[in-house]
Amino acid sequence: MKRRVMALLLAGTMVFGLGVSAMAEEAEPIRIGFFCPESAPSAAADGQSSRQSAELAVKMINDAGGINGAQVELVAYDDGLDTKEAANIGEKLTTADDVVAVVSGSYSGPTKVVAPICQDSDMLMVSAYAVHPDVVNAGDLIFSQSFPGSVQGTAAGEFAANTLGAKKVAIVAVDLDFGTEQATYFKAQAYKYGMEIVSEDYIAISDNDMTSVITKIKDEDVDLIYSVNYYEQASEVCRQAALQGLDCAILGTEGADSWQLLETAGEYANGLYITTNMNRDDENANTQAYIDNYRAEYNMEPDMVGASVYDAFQVLFTAIENVGTDTQAMKDYIAGMKDYDTVTGKLLYYNASGSAVKPVQVQQVVDGEYHFAATIDDEAIIDPANFE
Amino acid sequence: MFIQQLINALMIGSLYALTAMGATLIYGILGILDIANAGAYLIGAYLGYYVYTATGNIVLAFLAAIVLVGAGGVVLQRTIYSPILAKPRTLSIIPLVAAVGLFTMCSDAVRLICGPGTKAYNLKFPVDAFHIGNVTILPAWILIFALTAALLLILWFILNKTKLGLAWRASAEDPEISGVCGVNTHVSMALSYILGYGFAAAAGIMTGILYNSITPALGDVPSYKMLAIIVLGGLGNPLGTVVAGLLIGIAEVFLSVYTTLPIPKDAIAFVVLIIMLLIKPSGLFGQKNKV
Amino acid sequence: MNAYLFSILATAAIFILLALSLNIITGFAGQAMMGQAAFFGIGAYTAAIITTNGGNFWLALLCGMVVSGLFGAGLGVISMRLQADFLAITTIGINFVMVALFNNMKITGGSLGLTVSKPTVFGIKFGNREFFIMTTILIVILCLLIVKMKRSWFGMALASINNDAGAAASFGINVHKYQILTFIIGTSIAGLAGGIYAHRMGFIASSDFAFTVSIEILSMVVIGGIGTIRGPIVGGILLSFLPEVLRFADNYRSLVYGALLVLMVRFMPEGLIGINSPLVRLFTRLFKGQKSSEGGAA
Repeated sequence: MKRRVMALLLAGTMVFGLGVSAMAEEAEPIRIGFFCPESAPSAAADGQSSRQSAELAVKMINDAGGINGAQVELVAYDDGLDTKEAANIGEKLTTADDVVAVVSGSYSGPTKVVAPICQDSDMLMVSAYAVHPDVVNAGDLIFSQSFPGSVQGTAAGEFAANTLGAKKVAIVAVDLDFGTEQATYFKAQAYKYGMEIVSEDYIAISDNDMTSVITKIKDEDVDLIYSVNYYEQASEVCRQAALQGLDCAILGTEGADSWQLLETAGEYANGLYITTNMNRDDENANTQAYIDNYRAEYNMEPDMVGASVYDAFQVLFTAIENVGTDTQAMKDYIAGMKDYDTVTGKLLYYNASGSAVKPVQVQQVVDGEYHFAATIDDEAIIDPANFE
Repeated sequence: MFIQQLINALMIGSLYALTAMGATLIYGILGILDIANAGAYLIGAYLGYYVYTATGNIVLAFLAAIVLVGAGGVVLQRTIYSPILAKPRTLSIIPLVAAVGLFTMCSDAVRLICGPGTKAYNLKFPVDAFHIGNVTILPAWILIFALTAALLLILWFILNKTKLGLAWRASAEDPEISGVCGVNTHVSMALSYILGYGFAAAAGIMTGILYNSITPALGDVPSYKMLAIIVLGGLGNPLGTVVAGLLIGIAEVFLSVYTTLPIPKDAIAFVVLIIMLLIKPSGLFGQKNKV
Repeated sequence: MNAYLFSILATAAIFILLALSLNIITGFAGQAMMGQAAFFGIGAYTAAIITTNGGNFWLALLCGMVVSGLFGAGLGVISMRLQADFLAITTIGINFVMVALFNNMKITGGSLGLTVSKPTVFGIKFGNREFFIMTTILIVILCLLIVKMKRSWFGMALASINNDAGAAASFGINVHKYQILTFIIGTSIAGLAGGIYAHRMGFIASSDFAFTVSIEILSMVVIGGIGTIRGPIVGGILLSFLPEVLRFADNYRSLVYGALLVLMVRFMPEGLIGINSPLVRLFTRLFKGQKSSEGGAA
């Protein structure tokens, strides 16, 4: 009896051992570095969206058998929205973690600090949604998926003039690079079409009160409010405008692209236009699959931040699948990508500085959901190189 | 336009007064700049949200949040603040570090337990807005005015018409002498925390209703702005706090609307404060300097 | 791994310098300064503006020190009029106003911040290791100066002012002069730290100098032990490494960080190794035979 047990055990061990060695013959896992702001209360919602989309991207590719048989491993860090921590993370990712490339799922500050560290240590980085125009200027290894302020602001101006026919506009913008950049380019485009900008208010990110600003705008009798704010403030712009009885269109930005705005602004969000990157009504299977998978996995609505992060991973996966994990090869591959299908629509190409060129989507809130309103695909507007 | 802005300013100012009142009461007795009051404000807003969402009763939400957060305040006072103050020669900035630690814990606990995303109160008023001529008044504003007035009346009553209040005022005037005279300063301290954290919780719920949104970062701005208001009001002076709150509300609204300052609205409170302190170093209503 | 370690060490060294600078104002002179990050920022922006316009790195550091010290002198004059808690909140206010100005002025790059290129000194391109070494040397020099200062007439005057300003004045000590002097010294060192920080990070934005950073610096001083030299150093090392060490706690990192602050202040308000802290008492008891004078002086 005892002997039989021993034999069984032995056989079991051998099979197990074989299994292990068979696994070892499979390709080594591909490690990809990632950071996002999870622990800073002010940025944690975006951090969550970012982290979840990163994990979803990795899960999807691994479920599909990995990249050329190799599993993908995520090496994720929380940067706490602190540039000092980001600097540490940058050094760790580039020297200690054995990753093949880095994806930034964070804001401008941390991304701006990590970019040169990656460039200097020969590491490729794809930034998902940081808007600082200098992120890609760190070098040829740095790519960006997001629209810089120049593109989105100009596209908004185009839409305001051509589709909305706006004549008198009030600008309410967050007092960060995100707000000031877009407002600057919006104004340039608006003046080109002969619009009148009757007021500009720049409001600190921490300040949620829009009551007095909207009262002021009410007196100006405008036909459009251009709100370059994140979802909390954009929600207040919508609510106050409706409650104080303003009769004008509101045009927001990707900052308002979040389920959280729909939640807090409720019925007052209806009619709001936003410029963003993901078209919820896109027939594209890739887009719909992402939306469905995200909902199924997290029981939440995906947003622009998550979609951009997912995109960044898909670009990287495709590059690795085609040319392996050599930094220069990946760089050349990504730089040469054309008409690539992402969840945020067709990525036309990367320009010389490494910014993705893709159509700007305009969505409108109808019955509490984002729906297609327009697409702006004029290359003179959507290629950031035109504004440098 | 002017009248509308004035109403806007008074509404915001009332909310500031309500928010800063807790910190004032605590400073009055313990002499602590209690940033953790903003944690009470945050937790109050979330407690109120859960009670309201579960029961649909906003009055119950207010009561539950005020009582629970107030009780929590007493626990903190007993376990953290009083023992720190009991040590000889404690520098005034040392309890402040503890308060910062507590506030960090509150924000992070809320983020971890309730999730980082925004939550909406979705409190439905029978009317969306009252329009009188060109002036708009929102039901939430009326609620803010009414609640601020009611809570201040209750506070005035407790402080001026009850034995508890007499003890409180005596302790605020001079803890040592009042202690010798048989005033139980422990009770006064506990009262400060119950009222102080309760006020903060009520202010948190009001903010949640006003903007129809609460996030784990809700306490970030009040944590420092309330300091400016309580100093402006003369540190530890409840009446001064109300005046200071209204003053800051008015200054913020009118300066941000009628001028183009190179600084954001949030910093106006401190600019007003610094100018005022240079003119009158003991605050608007300060009679004495606490050292 | 070395690069990672040096990255943390470089940050730690800069923050030790900041903690020491704050300790001069708060620990030695007893002034409730809550806005040290504002002066850190003034130094950082001054130095960054100079080198981005082609100025010399060392000149930039010096200018950062001087400009920050000038602002500090102004605050020192104001501080004469204000008592403890009023000064604390005024300095918080100054911090907020400065951050707002950094975020809105053209010369500071506005909300886009400033990109600063790392300096090359004697043919060596400065990286984290070089910044760490340089800052450590500065810390050593500063500590020697503080020891010297504490033994001088100036140090004694400060100690007596900290103890009882009224009594000090009656002994003929010019309280105002000494207080203003400590503000100048403390803020100019913060300015120096700022200049180093800007060049080590390569990018600065207004939020790098927010009130929370002032609190971080203050926490280092309080947790290490206020009024000593070793305290801010240990506190600086501890709190700089803590966020990295706590990475295992993942999502609970800030929660644990906050809890540690509370527990430390609750159970060791004199700091980990401050004057009369349990650790130091234990240490002195162990070495009683050697008649250690560690307890008070250090």
